[in-house]
Amino acid sequence: MIVKIAFKNIWRNKLRSWVVITAIALGIFGGLAVISTATGLSKMRQNNAIRTYVSHLQLHDSAYLKYGRLDDTINQQADIITYLEKSKKVKGISPRLKVESFIQSAGGTSGVILNGIDPEKERQVTDLAEQCIAGNFLERYKQKPPIIISQKLATKLNARVKTTIQCSFTNNMGVPITGIFKVVDIFSTSNSMYDELNAFVRLEDLQNLTSIQGSHEIAVVLHEEKEVEQFREELISKFPNQHIASWRGIAPDLGYADKMMDLVMTLFLIIIMLALAFGIVNTMLMAVLERKKELGMLISVGMNKRKVFWMIIWESIFLALIAGPLGIFSTYLAVNFFGRVGIDLSFAAQGLRSIGLESTLFPILDDKYYVIISILVIITAILSCIYPALKALKLNPAETLRTA
Amino acid sequence: MIKVTHVTKTYDDGKVRVEALRGINVEIKNGEFTAIVGPSGSGKTTLLNIIGGLDTPTEGNVIIGETNIAHLSENQLIDFRLNHIGFVFQSYNLIPVLTAKENVEFLMLLQNKSEAERDERTTKLLKAVGLEDQINKKPNEMSGGQQQRVAVARALASKPDFILADEPTANLDSASTANLLDIMYRLNQEENMTFVFSTHDQRVIDRAKRVITIEDGKILSDEIR
Ligand SMILES: Nc1ncnc2c1ncn2[C@@H]1O[C@H](COP(=O)(O)OP(=O)(O)OP(=O)(O)O)[C@@H](O)[C@H]1O
Ligand SMILES: [Mg+2]
Repeated sequence: MIVKIAFKNIWRNKLRSWVVITAIALGIFGGLAVISTATGLSKMRQNNAIRTYVSHLQLHDSAYLKYGRLDDTINQQADIITYLEKSKKVKGISPRLKVESFIQSAGGTSGVILNGIDPEKERQVTDLAEQCIAGNFLERYKQKPPIIISQKLATKLNARVKTTIQCSFTNNMGVPITGIFKVVDIFSTSNSMYDELNAFVRLEDLQNLTSIQGSHEIAVVLHEEKEVEQFREELISKFPNQHIASWRGIAPDLGYADKMMDLVMTLFLIIIMLALAFGIVNTMLMAVLERKKELGMLISVGMNKRKVFWMIIWESIFLALIAGPLGIFSTYLAVNFFGRVGIDLSFAAQGLRSIGLESTLFPILDDKYYVIISILVIITAILSCIYPALKALKLNPAETLRTA
Repeated sequence: MIKVTHVTKTYDDGKVRVEALRGINVEIKNGEFTAIVGPSGSGKTTLLNIIGGLDTPTEGNVIIGETNIAHLSENQLIDFRLNHIGFVFQSYNLIPVLTAKENVEFLMLLQNKSEAERDERTTKLLKAVGLEDQINKKPNEMSGGQQQRVAVARALASKPDFILADEPTANLDSASTANLLDIMYRLNQEENMTFVFSTHDQRVIDRAKRVITIEDGKILSDEIR
């Protein structure tokens, strides 16, 4: 009965009830929208980084990570590669030889890491080939060995496709070595810092130049991202002498970003819930004060305070129960729609590129957030009508009936 | 039976002291049809509120049946009102979102009466006040007189010991006033229901079987006809 009266009471002032319902629904929508865009952004950054340069797993010789010497190559390379190629979980592997080098053109000079790669294998691991403007991924070349540099580096060196470039470094014996390369293509990923630091040459060219066989790094991409950590364990137990890191270990900042997001999201949610609480306190307080006489009458004829209290609480519960599904459903539609179509951020593409993001954002929302937000909203709604409800209990029936 | 002894009521908000009742002694027996009259500000409402347990006396006792309600806690008073006293106020009697039937049923729901009992009694009471054809109307769809009749039916629903009505006809035209009084009078005659009501209206006073006049918080006269 109390519940029924409460439900009827909320429709006495339809406009006000709808304002509150809309506010709650918008609160849910806003909260979930922020969470889904933030998750989308961070996932995009992760995928981007994994796809362009991190890969799922990287293997190095432990000494290479410690000293970075040229001859610290992976010593079980053949075994490892055979093992990886046999595994069904692995989508692609790419061995790389890495040399820190000066790079020099007629127009300028800079420091880079020369990555010796096998273009065919690299294609299966990163999408670097797709980032090249001329579509020549170290494949078509004449006498001089080919090199691919980034747009950023090209600008710095004042170089173009066909520009001849000189790379110089010291080998493991301390002997200075110089290689001449011809730029065959120019790439640009969404990470400008990475771009500036990396150039790509053919693996055999760099092996010849350094007189070093093997490689320093094997990048691995799996079919399923969620198998990464488990597969890493598997590899570690198999090849205990290698240093094997997953993308989380290689680029911890990608994980930190998640933690930051969590913090920001929590703060944001608190703000939304506070706004919500404020709105409900106000509305319900108005609803109570407006009905002083009626509430006074109810207490006078024998409705006890517990029932009056619950009647008011139920009124907000109903508001929240109507608003909750509304907010959740609209969010669900929006997240699904934009999750498919994406949100166009091309107006800010330039800025986004520099922090490793693309210009189309796909919001992602874990199901658990629907539950969390719904619970939060309902708790907030109930908590924030306790004060107005207590106010109703303080009413003195004799007084309220007297004041005309 | 209602027994009021040495009741005083002083309102004191720190600045102004108002002695609304100054030593009231009165006994109201079952089956009475009693009017409390007096000029504005004489203390009629205060007295009815104290008898009805809506307000507590500053001094003195109010004994209803066996219970001294001056000694009850706030929550005990609410329960006591629910089970022993029927109220009809001047206005704001009904729950606006409920129909006439639901308004009458309301107190029985608070008393946890069975659905069968509620249905039977609601129908009977609405018939007794002549509203059997209005049971599904909301208060704002009824006239002031009809609303007051629903209020009387509602007051009776909880099977109270007596009914208190503070100026129940103040907002009614003369036809509705006469009609409401007829109903109250008949309930008093046929069911022996005790009514205590305050009024300014001479036509209402004329119908009372006992008239208690108060002035300045004291009983000036007590006339049984
Ligand atoms: N809460 C209060 N605080 C202070 N004084 C009050 C309060 N309630 C009533 N009074 C005073 O007590 C006195 C008696 O008031 P009461 O309402 O009982 O008179 P009444 O006979 O019912 O008058 P009316 O015919 O106008 O309804 C009046 O002087 C009134 O101003
Ligand atoms: Mg009065």
